[in-house]
Order: sequence, then structure tokens, then C-alpha cells
Amino acid sequence: MSILSLDLFLSALRLATPIAFVALGETFSELSGVINVGVEGTALAGALVTAIVAYFTGSPTLALLSALAAGAFLGLLHAAWAVYLRADHVVSGVAINLLVTGGALFSTRILWGWRGTSPSAATMNPWIFVGLCVLLVGLAQIYIFRTPWGLRLRVVGEHPHAADTAGINVNRIRLLYTVLNGVLCGLAGSFLFNNLGRFTDGMVGGRGFIGIAAMVVGNYRPLPSLAAAYFFGLVDALQMRLQAYIPSQFSIILPYLLTVVVLAGFLGRANVPKALGKPYLKEGR
Amino acid sequence: MPAEAVRMEGIVKRFPGVVANAGIDFSLSFGEVHGLLGENGAGKTVLMSILYGLYQPDSGQTYVRGEPVRIRSPSVAIRLGIGMVHQHFMLVPRLTVLENMAVGWEPRRGPFLDREGMRKRIEALVEEYGLSVDPEARVEELSVGEQQRVEILKALYRGAEILILDEPTAVLTEQEVEALFKTIRALRDQGKAVVFITHKLHEAMTICDRVTVLRKGKKVGTVPISEATPEKLAEMMVGREVVFRVQPKPVQKEGKELLRVEGLTVHDERGLPAVRNVSFSLFDHEILGIAGVEGNGQKELVEALTGLRPPKAGKVYVGGKEATGLSARELAQLGLVHIPEDRQATGLILPFSLAENVVLGRHREDGFALGPWVQLRRRIFRYAEEAVRTFSIVAPSVRVPVQNLSGGNQQRVVLARELGRKPKVVVAHQPTRGLDVAGMEFVWEKLLELREKGCGVLLVSMDLDEILMLADRVAVMYRGEIVGIWPREEADKHELGLAMLGGKVAAR
Repeated sequence: MSILSLDLFLSALRLATPIAFVALGETFSELSGVINVGVEGTALAGALVTAIVAYFTGSPTLALLSALAAGAFLGLLHAAWAVYLRADHVVSGVAINLLVTGGALFSTRILWGWRGTSPSAATMNPWIFVGLCVLLVGLAQIYIFRTPWGLRLRVVGEHPHAADTAGINVNRIRLLYTVLNGVLCGLAGSFLFNNLGRFTDGMVGGRGFIGIAAMVVGNYRPLPSLAAAYFFGLVDALQMRLQAYIPSQFSIILPYLLTVVVLAGFLGRANVPKALGKPYLKEGR
Repeated sequence: MPAEAVRMEGIVKRFPGVVANAGIDFSLSFGEVHGLLGENGAGKTVLMSILYGLYQPDSGQTYVRGEPVRIRSPSVAIRLGIGMVHQHFMLVPRLTVLENMAVGWEPRRGPFLDREGMRKRIEALVEEYGLSVDPEARVEELSVGEQQRVEILKALYRGAEILILDEPTAVLTEQEVEALFKTIRALRDQGKAVVFITHKLHEAMTICDRVTVLRKGKKVGTVPISEATPEKLAEMMVGREVVFRVQPKPVQKEGKELLRVEGLTVHDERGLPAVRNVSFSLFDHEILGIAGVEGNGQKELVEALTGLRPPKAGKVYVGGKEATGLSARELAQLGLVHIPEDRQATGLILPFSLAENVVLGRHREDGFALGPWVQLRRRIFRYAEEAVRTFSIVAPSVRVPVQNLSGGNQQRVVLARELGRKPKVVVAHQPTRGLDVAGMEFVWEKLLELREKGCGVLLVSMDLDEILMLADRVAVMYRGEIVGIWPREEADKHELGLAMLGGKVAAR
């Protein structure tokens, strides 16, 4: 078969990478008890900032670092709202998505006079990201399940009160991992730019949300989540090949449809952290 | 005299509307088990939460090992060698025993959690105190008694020499209680100081060396167990005098049986019997008080009577008609209404307006509804305004959300709604809980008014004084059973107190 070629798998690896970065980031923040649906927008911000900095400085490295900083900033914003001001996590995340979508249209217009796209700019080899992703997921797996800090992270999301009585600062841990989630989403966005060579405002295209789905399918563990991300990436690569045989309007639905189907099967069984989405208040009256 | 572990002097702690601790002195020595005895709301847990750094006292001084200290948080307490086993365990069910014990004080090998080292430390502790647990078991697989052992081990692992156990037997089976007592004795013999919070007399008599009794936020006294008798402790706990602030009027009774309960058995959430084979009757022009320490089945009894929880066995009759297992609405149609224990959670919908709350559950009735429409503007507002007048509710308008009203006014809204149904039987569950004096008196007067009008009132209360002041007959619940029913004239506070605490009584 011409569809099942080496090329297909290489393309799947690349398509899966942003999903895997988001899944890893969301794993960290949700284990600490913070839901962030703003990952979609945060990834888009990462792509946008990479495009802007790469275009004006010509340095892909500087562009990458800026994208990480932008991700960290949006993570900080989410933590401020969701952790310290105790806003609803989903509302805050949706606000971030809207903010970035609007910001992307606005800044492309101002900078280049185009609606939601950038000119091409200097890139780095996207395969660096693919390798980095595997490395980070492996390290995260060890960090979460083998180190004292990983143990604290898991306790904070499951039973913040117990963590507090063990002398752990619950809100600071949540802030830290929400920012880390932002950084990893920035990395996902930066990859998307470097993969394509230019920015378009639809380039994340739901991969942030699919990243959250991959995390649920992977049951809040980095390695299984990576496997789930590869699966979604493979389906995406496959549907691109299928466009030669069936109308693209149908094949393009495939990854999204599959996400819904797979999620329906896994959602009920996932070990959702007990305190997910609940703000922590000290008992003292 | 053994070394002093803790001394607390003049501890005062106020919460809005309540003084939880009104200048309490407390002292604890190493090598003793010190019982902290008192009814619910006496201030035992608050006092110990202050020692553990969960609350800050408004005034007073704490000394640990003779040094004055300020315990700002549990981590400060832990560093001072104080450990607390809470009623609700601080354990993560999905993690293992080892992980739960290690968190916050993890032994490390390089950047990793040193599981092997941790296991050895647990094994050493297990050996020293004779508490067996499997470090690799997940907490969710353990029984409640085993989880409690993990909590005790966790405190010991963190270096606790002063151990606070908050009603540790409440969740245990008889055998588990035995094992716990063995552990406590072992700890005492190792020179630890143990605080044992309880409201069960016989446990205090069995395990404690000294007992401090609290009542309504004040310390009644401290006695060595050699000088204590159950009678003496019971009297210290409930007091002797009854303060009458309202007086029931004499009424002419007709002897009509308004509510009859036969052999009622009700299970709690865990599927265990909480009410066991309870039978009683409630007559016209009568208030029947149900006294008892919280958690002896009162909640389940009330829920079964008011249609919130299906009974496992037994029958209930309202006004002569069988009403077993009917819904709250069907019961209301038979004339039985419910003043729930928690007005904020069950009694009211806080964000809804006063007017909406006054007709809640009655919105289908003629006058409030026209076909499928609720007649808010016309009838309901007018009805609510009338309720505001008759029940002296202080509110800027009937359209304000009830969450903006004070506790006393919220309770008046509940009363206005339930009594507006013209009931024959009223089940009032802790109707004055958390109210100020004026609010309490209003509720008491309303209950007495119902009695004068011929209603039957079932008054379930943890406050024995309240029951002795209002009730015509007093029933005492202990471990899901009614251990006796006394006419008020024959009810002796002392005897009731003993019955509530599981002391032996001559059943009547």
C-alpha cells in the first residue's frame, strides 16, 4: 500500500509532537489541581511570538525563548485568576483562548497588514522538537513517580489539605506547575511555526484540546499520554493521505471524531485528581 | 511529677456569634493519656486545633515543654513535636502507605525518593509501637482502623511526642477500639503525651489517666481518673441547672396520636444500621424531645421521617395513615413538615429571593400557580410580605436573596414557609443551631405556639437544656436506639446525661 509508508510515520511523529507537549504540560497542572483549557490559546501565542521574533531578529533560538516566556506569562495569568483569585478554571482558560485569538489577528494586521498570517521567517529544524519531546516526557515520567517533588505534586492535586498539614505550600506548587504548563504549550506553538515556516491563526487547529484528550487517555501519566499523542498524530497523518481518495471535508473530521470516541471510552476510567478545579482555602477562620 | 508537655493558659477563641473557648486552661504531661470530654460544641476540637496551629487564639498563651510558643501553622506544631490525628483522615486514598507517610518529610537518595530507606523507617516504627501495616498497600485498600494506624504512624514518623487524637473511636468497630487502646497504652508507656478527645464516658474511664471536662466553651474541671466516676463526669458534662427562658403553658390534651413509628430501622451512607428498631408515638398538643449526642442516629431518623431517606424496615403512620417511604411532598400533604438541621444547605436556596424561598415546594399550590405559570409578581409577593410581617423577618424587601439575611432571619424564612402549610406534625431538627439568643427565643415561642394550637412537635436537639425547657416528654437516643422515654416532670438531667453517654439506665 502506498499509504502506509515510512513517510506516513515520520509525518505522524511531527503531527503528534505539539499534542504531546500540551498533554505533558496539562498533566503537570492537572496533577496539581489546576485545569487549563487555555492551552489552545497558549500554544497559538507561542507560535505567534516565535513568528514575530524570528521575523524581526532572524534568530530562531531567540524566537524559541520568547515563545517559552510568552507561555510562562499566560500560565502566570491563569494561575493568578484560577489559583489566587479563585476564579472558575474553565472560564479563565476560555478567556485566555479568546485573548490570544484576538491578539493574533490584531498583531498580524499591525505588523504585516495581513489578516491572521505572517510572512515566512527563519526556522530551526523541527526534528529537534520531536526529539526534545521524547526526552522531556521520559524525564517527567521519572520526576512525577520517583522524586519527592513529584510525590508532593500528586498529593497537592489529590488532597491539598493533607499537603498543607505536611507543611507544603499548596498554592505555590499550583502556580509553579501552571506556569510550567504554559511553557510547554509555548514550546508546542514554537514547534508549529518552525514546522511550517510561517504563522497562520488556525495553525493550532484544536491540537491543544486534543492534547488534553491525550492526557486523559494516558490517565495523567506522561509516557502513556505520549503514546496517545502518537496515536492521534498517526490518525491526522492518515487523514491527510486519505484526502486523495475521499472528499477532504470528510477526512479532516477524522481526528476530531476519533478524539470524541476515544475520550468517551476513557473519561470514566481516568484517575482524575480529587481536588481538580477546586480552589484551596486554609481552614483557619 | 512527670515533665510537663503542654500548658495552655486562658485560651479564648471567638467565632461569629459563638465563643468556642472562653478562657480555657489545660495542661498535659509526658507519659499520660489526658481525656478531653464534653458534648458537641463544648469546644474540645477547637482547643486542640489551636494547639495544632489550625486556628489562632484571640487571646491566651501556649507553652510547650515549658517554653512560650506561638503556633502559626501545623508545620510549626509538627516541628514542636505535636501530631494530630483528625476525624477525617489526611490521607490520599490512591497513594501507598509509604508515600502518604513520606510526603513533606521525604528521605532522599540523590534526586530520588529513597523508598528503601523509608520502608526501613516504617518497619522500625511498626516494631517499636506494635502497629502493623504494609508500607506498599494503597490506602484505599485499607480498613478504617488500618488507615487510622497509618495516621498515627505518620505523626510518629514526623517526630510527634505529643499526640492529639480527635474522637478516634467514632469510626471504629469494637475490636478496632481494643487495638487502638493497646496502641495508646504503648505510646504512653514510651513516655508520649496523648490527648484523647471524646464524648463517650466509658472510653474516658477506660483509657485516660486524667480527664478535663469542657461545657459550652468553658472548662468545668480536671480530675484524675482515680477520683472520677461516670456519674460525676456526666454531671460535669451536662451541668445540673436548667435555665428556663420560655415557659410552656398548660394545655388540654385530646390523646390523638398524630405520628406513630413502629420498629423503624434506617441505614446510613455506608449501609450500616444507624437507627435500630425505633418505636414511639407523638400526640396532639405535645412536644417530644429527642436528646442525644450527635451521631447517634438522629440525622438518619429525621431523614427517614421526612421522606429524605428510605427506611430499611418498620412503619410510619401520620395522622393514622400509613406514610412509610412517602416523599417529602406527599408527607406535607398529610400535614407533616420539616425544619431541617442545616438551613443553608437544606432549608433554603441561598441565591433565591425571600419570596421564592417562602413558597419553595408550595409553588404548585392554588394561589401560587396558574396552570404551568408561577405567579411571582402578584400572589407570591403579597404572601411573602405577609409572612415578613407575621414572622418579624428583617429584610429590605421580599426580593432580596436570602443569603443576604442574618442566620436568625433565614431561620424565620424557613419557619414561615413550613408553618405556613398549616401542619399537624412538625419535625424540628436542631432548629436553634447557630442562632443568637433573640433568634433562639423566637423559634422556641413558635414551637410552643404550635403545641398550644394542638400540633405535635418532634424536637431533635443536641442541647439538653433546650429539650428540658420545651418538651413534654424526653426520649434519649444512643447508638441508634431509643434507650428510654421520660415525662418531663420525672426527667432528671443527671440521669438523662448518663443515658446520652451510654451509661446504664433503668429503661422505662
